[in-house]
Amino acid sequence: MVEVAYALPHKQAILSVAVPEGTSALEAARRSGILDKFEGIDLDNAKLGIFGKPVSPEQALREGDRVEIYRPLLADPKEVRKARAARSRERRAGKDEE
Amino acid sequence: MIELLVQHPLLAALLALVGLGAVFGALLGYAAVRFRTEGNPIVEQINAILPQTQCGQCGHPGCRPYAEAIAAGEDINKCPPGGQAGIEALAQLLDREVVPLDDEHGEEKVPQVAFIREDECIGCTKCIQACPVDAILGAAKHMHTVIASECTGCDLCVEPCPVDCIDMIPQAQTLQTWHWELPDTSNRGADIIATDAGEAA
Repeated sequence: MVEVAYALPHKQAILSVAVPEGTSALEAARRSGILDKFEGIDLDNAKLGIFGKPVSPEQALREGDRVEIYRPLLADPKEVRKARAARSRERRAGKDEE
Repeated sequence: MIELLVQHPLLAALLALVGLGAVFGALLGYAAVRFRTEGNPIVEQINAILPQTQCGQCGHPGCRPYAEAIAAGEDINKCPPGGQAGIEALAQLLDREVVPLDDEHGEEKVPQVAFIREDECIGCTKCIQACPVDAILGAAKHMHTVIASECTGCDLCVEPCPVDCIDMIPQAQTLQTWHWELPDTSNRGADIIATDAGEAA
């Protein structure tokens, strides 16, 4: 028994699926029926992982694994950090003036 | 053989008792193996009452360790997510006194879930590592998303986030989380038994 999980901000699902030991992550995701629950999962191009660790789609599964289908980031990490640094600089500057 | 026993009643009695002892001993020994209890059953019962947030506010690394500590005699009022209702349930189970929540360990809050503001998430996995119940789905440089049905609202993920993109929001009420509010029992016993003490005064 393995699980297949996918998550959107307001809708998430963890589906259990019985597959033989050694089934590939991609195959388990296909068989779980998660594609019917969510529109717009591009399984062939999506990154898969098990409990937060990215794995290849061919990764053989073991009992109890949770196959996760990831989505890309929306923000560019560098930009977010830069914006954050700028904000805290402003805050510091504001404090100095007081 | 029978003749020998008849001639020596003492020997017969001795043999009978030894035989009985052996039979019951074997029975008990078998039962001990067959019906072995895993761990301490009272710990299981305490653990079932604790809210399984795994938040660590009690000072233990999870609900089960706290259950073991309670079974070993620790105070029952260190669990803010369990709240007063939890303390009352524990008090009843363990036949201890109901005590107010120890606010050193936090306040009782409405059930919450974590929510990640996606346009700020940088995919650093810090919150995933902090989550005690694997309720955050994501990997390095990929979007992190809270699986609301798994989230216990422990807020351990909020602190590690380097871009502060996790909010704790009140849990949406679903068929699984709705419960009938218990009536206020704080002055239980005061009004239930009718007395004429007030009238007499």
